[in-house]
Amino acid sequence: MFRKLYLAYGFLVLGGTSFAQYHGWSLDRINQLKNVPKSVRDNPGSYRSVYGFYHHYTGGK
Amino acid sequence: MSAGTPPLSTLPKPQAKALNCPQCGAAITLRALGHAETVVCESCHSILDAKDPNLRILQTFQAIIGEVPPLIPLGTRGKLRGTDYEVIGFQRRGIKVEGISYYWHEYVLFNPYKAIRYLTEYNGHWNDISVCKELPIVQFATANYLGEVYKHFQSSDATTNYVLGEFPWQVRVGEHAAVTEYVKPPRVLSAEKTANEVTWSLGEYIYGADIWKSFNLPGSPPEAIGVYENQPSPVSENVKGIWGAFLAFAIFLLVLMAGFDLASSKGTAFESTYTLNYGEPKGEASFVTQTFDLEGRTSNVEVTTSANVSNSWIYLNFALINQDTGQAWDFGREVSYYYGSDSDGSWSEGSTKDSVVIPSVPAGHYYLRIEPEVDAKHAPISYSVEVKRNVTVPGFFGIAFLALLIPAIAITWRSISFERARWSESDHPPVQIQLGNSEE
Repeated sequence: MFRKLYLAYGFLVLGGTSFAQYHGWSLDRINQLKNVPKSVRDNPGSYRSVYGFYHHYTGGK
Repeated sequence: MSAGTPPLSTLPKPQAKALNCPQCGAAITLRALGHAETVVCESCHSILDAKDPNLRILQTFQAIIGEVPPLIPLGTRGKLRGTDYEVIGFQRRGIKVEGISYYWHEYVLFNPYKAIRYLTEYNGHWNDISVCKELPIVQFATANYLGEVYKHFQSSDATTNYVLGEFPWQVRVGEHAAVTEYVKPPRVLSAEKTANEVTWSLGEYIYGADIWKSFNLPGSPPEAIGVYENQPSPVSENVKGIWGAFLAFAIFLLVLMAGFDLASSKGTAFESTYTLNYGEPKGEASFVTQTFDLEGRTSNVEVTTSANVSNSWIYLNFALINQDTGQAWDFGREVSYYYGSDSDGSWSEGSTKDSVVIPSVPAGHYYLRIEPEVDAKHAPISYSVEVKRNVTVPGFFGIAFLALLIPAIAITWRSISFERARWSESDHPPVQIQLGNSEE
């Protein structure tokens, strides 16, 4: 019984992986916005990224 | 049921004979007349000679007060493995291991046309026992019976300490037998050695629920406690099959990954290199790239940034913008690379390259808005941005591999734990793994 369950589970995992890959899913978190004004192309400064105040790493060991 | 073996339920009871106990006068019913060697009075517990017309007293014993009555009452009839049987005898036997007494119960099953069978019960674990038809071959710690190898489990000295009903042998309370058991779940091979003979029997594990159903007993059987010596493992049989399936899935996963990789468009949708000289950027740093096309079905987009950072960093605010719909994907990426050496030797952190995969981007005309940030005092930094369509995400396949591996490991672990529990009660307990310092 465990083997049958595992087989079903395995096919589900493979199917899920194929689905995710085919539909272009990603493991990265990306912020999606809609209706960005066309003026950005002419005036890039008019767009403000939500990541604009990122505190970068400057250390090293 | 085999041909020529009428069911007990259809038979009258001519074999039964009503007698009286010569010790206490209580009524005694002989159910296996002609087969029983001894019969025990249920009232005074005298062991009587069933072959003697006057029921000669062979032994009397003092029953322990509070003795648990048989779970299957004497006289109960049922069908076991297709054959009708009647429970005619009951005995309790015990062994002492390291000063602790362990008891089990045995039920004698009778059919006038079949050999005697037995049911044993210990802590809710049942076995269907029959006498071996051939003599097993014992070699070292194994016994070979009908081509199957049984591993030695336990050797002990069993004592009979309570009897009730009829027995096809000269039963006595207090009699000893050296019992040696070999297991090959779900079967157990037992050798009982007395002063006069050695009897080999073969037992097969049977679930209490099946016995209750076979003998139409009221209520439910006692719950099985712990793991019994020949109890079939619920998972062990599956372990090999599951690892086989895992291997097949892993190979299929690799093939799938290779297939997606081959099917993906290898071309670059956009690529450009930029340079930030010392003191730049001044004022507004953001700019947009030229428009590029992302073709095909909705799929992911990989943006790779490479920079010649050396003990420095560059941070880039990106926005992938669809020129026609205004849909945008906003993200920030850092490229930093630091290295040096100290008392521990040389070290390095970070990388000169970074990649991000944007999910589910429809086809269309796109451009990137890029806003670089760098340290105020930096050497000239050159960085390049590359956009690729429909890339394989190895992370998905890594997760899938783990998702397939974890249940296989869990089932294997459960199987090992079950076997450890089984053998911990044997003469060959598994080696205990000591964690930390053991206290003396």
